[in-house]
This record gives sequence, C-alpha cells and structure tokens, in this order.
Amino acid sequence: MRSALVLLAALAAGEVRAQALHPVGGASLVTARVRSQVPSGVDQFTGSAFLGQGALALGRVELSVSYLQGTLNPDGGTAAARDLVEGTARLGVRALDWLTLETGPHARAYTLTGGTQRWLFWELRARAARAFIGSSVRGYAELWRAISADANVPEPFDHAQGGEVGMVVRLARAPVTARIGYRIDHAVLGGGTRKETVDGVVIGVGLSWR
Amino acid sequence: MRALALALALGVAPTALSAQASDSLFVTAVRAYKNLEFDLAAWTLRRELARLNTVGAPTAARAQGLVYLGAAELFRGRRDSAAAVFRRLVMLDPRYRPDRLVFPPEVTGLFDGVRLETKVVAIDVPRDTTITPGPGAFGIWIIASSFQTIDVALRYEDGAPFRSLYVGPIGDSINLQWDGLDAAGAMPPVSRVLLRVASRGASGALAGIVQLPLDLRQVRPDTLPWPAPPADSQFLPERENSGTARRALLGGVALSGAVAVLPALVGGTDTPSGPRIAVASTIGVAGLLGFVLHRPGRPLAANVRANQALRDTWQRRVEITTAENARRRQNVRLLVRAGEAAAIQPRGP
Repeated sequence: MRSALVLLAALAAGEVRAQALHPVGGASLVTARVRSQVPSGVDQFTGSAFLGQGALALGRVELSVSYLQGTLNPDGGTAAARDLVEGTARLGVRALDWLTLETGPHARAYTLTGGTQRWLFWELRARAARAFIGSSVRGYAELWRAISADANVPEPFDHAQGGEVGMVVRLARAPVTARIGYRIDHAVLGGGTRKETVDGVVIGVGLSWR
Repeated sequence: MRALALALALGVAPTALSAQASDSLFVTAVRAYKNLEFDLAAWTLRRELARLNTVGAPTAARAQGLVYLGAAELFRGRRDSAAAVFRRLVMLDPRYRPDRLVFPPEVTGLFDGVRLETKVVAIDVPRDTTITPGPGAFGIWIIASSFQTIDVALRYEDGAPFRSLYVGPIGDSINLQWDGLDAAGAMPPVSRVLLRVASRGASGALAGIVQLPLDLRQVRPDTLPWPAPPADSQFLPERENSGTARRALLGGVALSGAVAVLPALVGGTDTPSGPRIAVASTIGVAGLLGFVLHRPGRPLAANVRANQALRDTWQRRVEITTAENARRRQNVRLLVRAGEAAAIQPRGP
C-alpha cells in the first residue's frame, strides 16, 4: 500500500501548480448481480442499485469517490434479500494523457439478517480512456487488483481483481455526459473454497466541467 | 585730374583687390559723379561693371552701377550711350526704377523713355516646389518693363508647343498658374519643359524672349504590398479523412471485445452473458455509427465555414489594400524645379 502511494506521489511530482480544479459528478443505475460460491453451494442475488460518483482533478492529480446502495434479491431459493452498500475513495495521477493510475480503499457491505458482512480492499487501479468517435465519445477500460483485503468471512483472503469497460458520450457543447459500461470484480478466498463475483451494467448520466 | 590719376592708379591695381577695395571703387565713382567729374565717374563705373559681370554679382549691385553710368554718360553729353546703358538696365531688371530723390528729372525722364521703348519681361517662379497636378497650381509671376503683349507658353525642349498659358497684354505684372498638366489634361510625358515668354511691341513685332527651363519629376507614393494569403497550415480539413472513421470502427470493436473478455480476464467466468452482450453490442453499434458519420470524404461543415471565414478575411484585406493603392496611385505629385532664366534676342530682319 505504501509503495503504491509513493509511486503515485512520484508521478504527480511537479504537477502541483496553480491550476484550475475540474469537478466531475455523476449518477448511475447499476444492475448488480452477486454470485457467492462456497463449498455448501452457490448463492446468487440480483438487483438494482444507485451509484453516485464524484471526482476532483487538479492538474494530473485526481481524487475520486463513489457510493453505491441497493437491494439484492435471491435468484430462486428461499434466502432473504440483502442490502448492498459499497464505497470507494481513490487518489490517482494521470501518468499519460490517456492513462490514470489510482489507489485507495474499496469497502463493501452486505446487510444480512444475522449481521453485516464487510469487505475492504486496497486497490491498485489502471484506467485508460480515449476518444474514439470524434471527440464526443470516449471509451474507457479499467483494471484493478487488490493489494490487500480484509473481510469478516471465515476463509482467508487469497486474491481479488476486477475491471470495467464502457463508453461516455459527451453531449454537444454541454457539460452533460451519458455513460454505459460493464463492471465485474472477482474475489477468491480460502484457496478457492470461496469465490465472490459481482458484476453489472452501469447506465448513468453525469456532469463534467472542463 | 588728381581724381583721374587716382582712378588710373586703382585701375592698374592687381585684379585681386578685396571686396573693400571694390566698394571703394564704386564709392569713388559715385563721389566723382557727385563732384561732377563725369568722365572719371563713367570710366570708373565701366571698370566696376565689367568686374561685377565677371564675378556674377547680384542684379541690384549691377543695376546700381548701370544707373550711375547712364546718368554720367548723359551728363557727358552722350545721350545715345546713356540710352544704351539704360536699355541694358531695363533688360537686366524690368522692375528697376531710379531713385527720383537722387537722380534729376533729366535722368529719370530719359530712363522712363527708354523703359517704355524696351519690351522685356522678368519671370519670377519658385525655385523648387511640389504641386498636385490638376487641382494644384504652379505660380508664375511675370513682370514687364512696360506695357506690351506677351505670349506665355510651355514648350518641349525642342521648341514644340506643350501648353499655352497666356496670350495678351501686360501692364506692370501678371500672375499666371500652371496646373501641371499638358494641353490634353494629361501628366507631362517629359522630364523637362521650357517656360517661354515672348514680348511684342505695339506693332506686334517680336521684341524679346525670356526662357526658363523647368525640370519635372513625378512623385508617386509607394503602394502597399498585397497581404499574404493564408498559409495551407491555417486551413482545416474540409472533408473527413479515413483516420477518424477507422478509429471509430476499431475503437468500437476493441471496446466490445474488451467487454466480452473482461470476465475471463478477471477470473469470473461463470457470469451470465446477457448484460455483457448488451453493453458490447451498444458500444459496437456506436462504433459502427461513428464510422458512418465520419466516413471518409464526408464534408465537415464547421471546418468549411471556418476556412471560408479565413478566406473572406483575407479577401477583405486585399480589397482594402487595393482601394488604398488606387488612392495612392491617384495621388501623384509633380516636383517642379526651375532653372535660370535666359534672354533670347530675336533675329533681325
């Protein structure tokens, strides 16, 4: 974790100048699906969630946060519905015009009848984005990997990684953007005895002042 | 006799006498005239006038010598010589009049008689001036010795007529103006013309000609250079190139593929393909749409407008420059430089 912060600091060095702040915000609807595979069986939940995101960029440095909340219902079976709450805070630096490296905590909680299952990942994330239809449509792809994690589940953490691919359409001359993407993350615990996969489609609108 | 001896002594003196010595010679002559020693005065004045002519002395100095010489000759009883001297004086300076407080009526009367018989003019023009041909004017002041008829004309150097300015009588003086153009109203095609004034007596006979060269030079202001046309680098492409369309198509394909393979990449292979296919299809269709919208050769209206604005701006600058240059070309000025006047005596019959 410390080495990741050092790397980001090194990339951002010299960029802290008197530059304008660029705020970005957005709200999305996420169709989330959680698949939890344990030795006793597979639990699968689907549902919709609200995702709010915001970012503040100063030169090459960027601070972003997100918050997701929704209710997941079991696909079949008699399991009870569970609430999903997720939040991230990341500090990133734009290493290249099209490449941003980020790091920060990613917390997730499921509210169960017997308690709350909490997950905390420290991620290292790479995000590439570039316009591919004129200058109004940008495609982006993200990949992240957890460099450490903590979860209140019996199995020890093994590894986790994820990603998101999509496109953002900027409406002509307006600061309004529209977004569609597909995201997935996959965590393995206990040497493969427990696998948690969360994926979904993100559809949203945002505001971007540049 | 003593004065004559003195004058002789002065006459044989070296020619390199100082100006003070020359003034003394004239003063001596005047003193002799006032002492009624007219022989000595005439002799001394002739020597002084010869010297003044040699050194090109001012007209006023020579006129002063001539009037005393004429008066001295008159009082020596040589009326014809006096008349000849006064004729020389009138031709030298038609404006000259003897001081009637200094010279007696016999002298002034003879002078006036000679002046009335002598038909000659003097030309007074600015030495160096610039005029605007047409509305401008080159002023010519002609002073006559006595009433006469004059013919004022500009002529080419070979004597051919260039522009007639005045034909008619003149009493004391007359002011004429030349607009800087030839007889046809055009700019002078030559760099030198002659201002010639022919004097005629009462009988119409040619009495004398005074001629003065005028050097002409047309002065045209510099015109402005044409504004440089916009450089090619300033123009935006007016038609879509193939790169934009290719990027849209390839970008759509790459992103769609990335969506499709993302689960495999992160290890979550047991996910439903429906949502992924929907997102991948949307991105793929967008890429295809981008390819169609940005197909090669498609006119780029915004760029066409921007380029046209650039061309219009340049065209406006050209028009402004053209108008300014046309104004400058019309603003031709004529530099007139006058030479020395010369008298031409008519040939006798």
